[in-house]
Amino acid sequence: MSDGLFKEKVKNFFKILCQTEWNATAAGLIVALLSILIMAWWRPWGAVGAIRNWGEWILYGIGIFDAKPASIVVSSGSVIGIGFLAGAFISACLGNDFSFKFPPPWELVKAIIAGILMGIGSAFAGGCNVGGMYNAIGNLAANGFTMWLGLVVGVVLGLKYIYWEMEHITWGTSGGKNFDFPYGLKILVGIVALVILIWGAYYYSGQSDDYVNSLSGILLISAGLGYTMQRGRWCMVQAFREPHMTGDCTLAKSVALSILVLAIGAAVLKYAVPQRGSAVAVQSILSEVVDDIDPDEVKDEELADTLEDVVDAADQAVIAARRTLDPVNYVRGTFGWGAVFGGFLFGLGAMFAGGCGSGTLWRVGEGQMKLWLVVPFFGISNALMTKWFRAIHMEGVGPTHEGSKLGMHLYLPDALGYGGTIALVVIAMALWYIIVDWNEDSNKLIVEM
Amino acid sequence: MSDIKIAPEGLEVARTLDAKGLSCPMPLLRTKKEIEKINSGEILEVLGTDPGSRNDIPGWCARAGHEYLGEREDEGFIRFYVKKK
Repeated sequence: MSDGLFKEKVKNFFKILCQTEWNATAAGLIVALLSILIMAWWRPWGAVGAIRNWGEWILYGIGIFDAKPASIVVSSGSVIGIGFLAGAFISACLGNDFSFKFPPPWELVKAIIAGILMGIGSAFAGGCNVGGMYNAIGNLAANGFTMWLGLVVGVVLGLKYIYWEMEHITWGTSGGKNFDFPYGLKILVGIVALVILIWGAYYYSGQSDDYVNSLSGILLISAGLGYTMQRGRWCMVQAFREPHMTGDCTLAKSVALSILVLAIGAAVLKYAVPQRGSAVAVQSILSEVVDDIDPDEVKDEELADTLEDVVDAADQAVIAARRTLDPVNYVRGTFGWGAVFGGFLFGLGAMFAGGCGSGTLWRVGEGQMKLWLVVPFFGISNALMTKWFRAIHMEGVGPTHEGSKLGMHLYLPDALGYGGTIALVVIAMALWYIIVDWNEDSNKLIVEM
Repeated sequence: MSDIKIAPEGLEVARTLDAKGLSCPMPLLRTKKEIEKINSGEILEVLGTDPGSRNDIPGWCARAGHEYLGEREDEGFIRFYVKKK
């Protein structure tokens, strides 16, 4: 009796973990948590870093780029992408969502257009929906808000285009094909992929180079992100689109909440951790001690040199500790027209694609071939735009983007303090929530078919 | 989200929409458009491959007032059944 009950409970556990679709709010909170964790580990995550690196390899392979790009398994951006894809793939296999889904031909044309729009848009905004908006607002960067505005406009225009297309384009709009596999085989492949993923993480952590062995955590946390987003079908485009299409605001609310939680977590990491870090403690004690000693009075030259070295080492340690949670992360010189225009192009492109930066990657993981086509075009156009922008200093110079033509580099706590910044994020996300909730019943913001 | 509703067998279908291979948001939008072509009380059958449709179609039915009759799995695709209000 109890044997059968226990077995049933184990089956239920597997079902919840791998088969049922996670609800949007839960998925959003897990994504926020993982986003905070990856920041604490080393750096915020994004999708463009990976896609651009892969685009650079394509361009290098066909001879357009001369310089060899960073290795796919060493570039942190690319490793994030690989981990994300692996997580999404594992989720799709274990949940029986994976199959090779080939769309009708016209969808493939849209995929190419989408990739180009998203590649160019993310170059202007300094990131995609993840790096330019989600993690940007999450990292307290002002450019995140401006990309948000651009995304709203781009998505609405994209929706109007899709309605127009449904009336006027019939060529290549049917005839999709699906190549499926037995579920048992998918589970097996999923488990193999999981084993390879874990092996990869251990392999990284065994390397002697600090940079490389840190990639272990990056790989795993990114896999967690990919898994969560596929399992919850958590899509940021849907958050921007659905309120105008059907009125449904479930995704929008969950994204707003997720961003709020992320911003609070990021503020805590960026403000509090360096303050309490042991490197800072050592450095402050040292400076007090050294202050009391006049270097000219120290007769022993060796001692004087040693003291200098020790103080230097303490300074370096503080700099290193601060760099892990560097405020400049994800703050781009695009607060202004750059992020708005970039967001607009990106939102439009995402409507053509049927997925944003992260949405594209997890749909690749479940075998949606349309999105497989989006990725190379996204990568190539972003790689080309980024190279050109760097050459003409479009986004200014240095980590603070001095002289950027796309807008300002503004880390909100520099202008409003941490308290003011959190207040701003709370108000903005609350407004987003209330407006989409109101619209769900009033339908005033729906774009008619 | 909510558990999957299985449609009864042998439903009399007025029209079938082939949305196989289409991904978000096309299956739902095509369904919205196609349902205009049948009469009230008739059943529209939608063939799809996007797992997202499992939420999108019932969710839209609830909002638009149509009756969602459920889905049936077939070889490599899903059949969704909607009864027009």
